[in-house]
This record gives sequence, structure tokens and C-alpha cells, in this order.
Amino acid sequence: MLELKDLYFSVSGRNIIDGMNYTFEKGKFYSITGPNGSGKTTLAKLVMGINQVSSGSISFQGKEISSLSITERAREGIAYSFQQPARFKGITFRDLLSMAAGTDDEEMLLALLRRVGICSLSFLDNPVDAKLSGGEIKKIELATTIARNPKLAIYDEPDTGIDLWTIQPMVRLLKREQKEHGTTTVVVSHNRAFLEAADIVLMISEGKLVYKGDLKGALPMLNDLSVCNYRKCVGDKDVGCYR
Amino acid sequence: MLDAIDKDLLKMVADLEGLPKGAFNIRKNGKLLKREVSANINIESNADGSGIVVTIKPGTINESVHIPVILSQAGLYDVVYNNFIIGEGSDVTIIAGCGIHCGSLEPEGHAGIHEFRVGKGAKVKYVEKHYASGPGRGRRTLNPTTKVFLEAGATAEMELTQIGGVDEANRTNEATLGPDSLLLITERVLTEGNQKAVSANTIILAGAGSRANMVSRSVIKGDSEQDFYATMEALAPCFGHIECDAIIMDNGRNDTVPSLKARHPDAALTHEASIGKIASDQLMKLMSLGLTYDEAVNRIIQGFLK
Repeated sequence: MLELKDLYFSVSGRNIIDGMNYTFEKGKFYSITGPNGSGKTTLAKLVMGINQVSSGSISFQGKEISSLSITERAREGIAYSFQQPARFKGITFRDLLSMAAGTDDEEMLLALLRRVGICSLSFLDNPVDAKLSGGEIKKIELATTIARNPKLAIYDEPDTGIDLWTIQPMVRLLKREQKEHGTTTVVVSHNRAFLEAADIVLMISEGKLVYKGDLKGALPMLNDLSVCNYRKCVGDKDVGCYR
Repeated sequence: MLDAIDKDLLKMVADLEGLPKGAFNIRKNGKLLKREVSANINIESNADGSGIVVTIKPGTINESVHIPVILSQAGLYDVVYNNFIIGEGSDVTIIAGCGIHCGSLEPEGHAGIHEFRVGKGAKVKYVEKHYASGPGRGRRTLNPTTKVFLEAGATAEMELTQIGGVDEANRTNEATLGPDSLLLITERVLTEGNQKAVSANTIILAGAGSRANMVSRSVIKGDSEQDFYATMEALAPCFGHIECDAIIMDNGRNDTVPSLKARHPDAALTHEASIGKIASDQLMKLMSLGLTYDEAVNRIIQGFLK
């Protein structure tokens, strides 16, 4: 349902995504992992239209989308959960959820809260501002992504700022969405819980897809990648620092 | 008595569909249009006829008074001096506001000078909206002044809004806080085109245990200009905070100058100020929810000024 063909994204002549080809199947759960700066988030942003491809194509349900705006891709059925969610002044969770769901009907919003497992109704009228904790804003981000009823849901590091006790319920929520709504799910994560939940693990290193398969097969490579991949940025022209 | 333009202006500045219930004073083109008093709220013209005196009896709870001003007379610059005496222990809402309808090339303007004396333990909420409309190209000016004196334990909550169409505004807010009193000011101003707005605020925390919080939200579109000055001066153990945020669009220009003056070692004063365009992560989030760029901008601005 999502096909990447000869995909490149370059900054200052350096390929951040370096000729990627892959087809995501409908209804599957994918986890994308790899070292810091390998291009995981960049890839996710290319699919959502937040970054524009340098060359190559992205087709979604048979339609070329690489020239479409974020808005148009959202309307095609792609939803995106940001690693660092935006904070607003004067916009509440209710406002965001209403925009995401396309309705301000109270019953429908409450049904959405139940669907994503948020019990406290007073949470709905909280401003989505700097006062929210990291965990709270990630829950809001997840809820607004699910409220889109997406065909393809992309979650960029959904466990950032989430306490350990919430990660498993979050994994179960995304699996339930996959199962009950047929959502093709792509999670960018380093967290083993998401890797274990995935039907397919994709590993990216230096902008290339270096592994696709189950977690067991990925583990030796993950161990190799976990050492000696720290490097120092050399000046502000070092594109590696933008990954 | 109220024509279609009057009704439109009253709706915009005071959320009124017609004449309000309870005490009110409606001023049109520099003259009294209609006045009602209530058992607890008296309104009378001041000695020289240049404004009104609103007196609220001590202990008056959950009552409101509307005092809107509407202007539609070409060439008129209306100046009014209003005094509010809020009795001890009362809890009331005052809804003011000025609406200008300009139909010609001649300028129109209004200066409302409002002085509040809030008695011991009393609470007042003051809501003021400024708005101008009409096909005329005459300059529309609004120059409000508010002076607030809070006695011991008194609270004033002020919502000051300029919602569009005003070419020039020079606002002055002054407040002196007594012991254990509380002042909350929220000011929202939107300018566009070649409009200019200046807001100068001086808050003196004179009493021990007094607290003040001033929030300013500015949206500056087109070639418009806004300047915001806020000074908090602490003369006693107290707490004061200024939060001023400005969103600049197009070629807007903004000066924001918060100033804190501690004249007592136990004063706690803070401020936070920001000026900038709409953050790209906010736009991307709303666009990822299916909104167009323009829809996302509008929602962010609406929320910011809400």
C-alpha cells in the first residue's frame, strides 16, 4: 500500500536517504529502527510530506504522492505522530481531537477517549501548552493520530517521555488499532517492546535499508550497530548532524 | 431606538442582541442613549456631564452592568470619564467596549478614561472590547485609559480586547494594588493593514501579599505595528508576572518591553516575552490533521487570541 522507489533525500549533496526501495503491505505492523542519525525520522517525514524528496517516488495505494502537501497526504489517509509534539497557546486537547476527528460531537469525542484509553474526561479541556508533561503530550499526540482513522499511521518514537508502565499499554493500543481497523502501522523506535510487536522489523543505517525481517534476525545487527556509532559534528556544514 | 448598525456594534463589543437586562448605560455619538439602574447598582452622570459614576453597593453579588459606547457620527471624537466605585465584599461584572462604524472619509474616535476603586474584599471582572467597521475610509481611533485602585483583599480581573478595524489605539493601563489584593489582566490585540497600537502598562504592587499577572497576546499582520510596554514595580513583599507574546505575520513590526522594578527585598517579579512567526511545528501538526495552511494559520491565531 506504500511503495518507496529509488528514494533519495539529500542535504548539501550528501544523501541522508540513500536510494531506498521498499513496499509496505496493507494492515501490517512495521518497526523501523537503527542508530541515531541513520535516517529513520527523515524517512517518516518524507512519507508524510514534512520533508520533500530529492528524487525517487512514493506511491500510496497506487497514487504518486511525493508532490502532495502534508494536508493532501493527511486527506489521503496518512496520519503522523510527531516525536516532539507541537505545543500551542489557547488550543485545547478537545480542539485538536475535534480537528482530527472532523467533529465536535461530545459523544464521539468521548468514544475516542475510550478507544485510546484516556480515562480522565477533564483531560479533554486541558490546553496543549508548555505546562503538559512529556508523557501527557505524547498521549494527546497518539490520540489525535488515531482519531484520524488513518489507513497508514506513522508514529515517530511514541515512547519518548512515556513512563515504563505505559509502554506496554501503548503497544497493545497500536496492535489493537492494527487488528480492529486494519491500520497499516509504522513505528520508528529503539524500544524493544515495539520491535517485538512488529510483524516486520526494518533497520536503517546511513540512509540505507540494511535489514527487513523478524526481530530475531535483526538482533545481531542491532548489537553491532550499538557500539562505536558516536561521531563528532564537523562544523555547521556537516550534513550528518542534521539526521 | 437601536438601528441595524447600533445592533451590530453592540453585538460585537458587548455580545448584546438588544438592550441588556439589569443595570446599563448605552452612550451613542457622545450622548446618553438609554440608562437603567438596579437596586444595587446606581449609574448617574458626573458633575460636568463628561461621563458617568457607577456605584455598586457593598455586598452586591453576581450582578453585572453594561456600559457600551457606539459611534457612527462622522468627524466625532468622543471623550468620556467614567468612575466605578465597587463596594466592599461585592462580586460583579462590568462589560464595557466601544464600537465605531465609519461611513465616510472623516475620522471618528473615542477615548474612554475609566477609574476603578475596588473596595475591601470585593471582586470585579471588567470585560472591554474594541471594534471598528464600516465602508468609510476615515481614520478610526480608540484611546482607552484604565486606572485601578485595589483595596485590601480586592480582586480585579480585566479582559481587554481589540478585535479589528481600529486604525490607531493608544492604551494606558495603570493599577495600584493594596495588601493581599490580586490583579489579572489579559490583553489581546490584532492589527492589520497599516494599523498602529500602543499599550503602556504600569502596575504598582504597593501592599504586602499583593499579586499581579499581566498576559498580553498580540497578532501583527500586514504592515501594522504594535508596541507593548509593561512595568511592574514592587514596593512590598509581593508576586508579579508579565507574559507577553507576539505573533508577527507579513511585514508586521513589534516592540515588546517588559520592565521589572523591585523596591523591596521580598519582592518576586518575573517576565517572559516572545516575538516571532507562527511556529512551523504548530502548522505542520494541524496540516497533518487535514487542515490547509490557511486553515491552520487561522486556528492558531484564533486560539492564541482566545
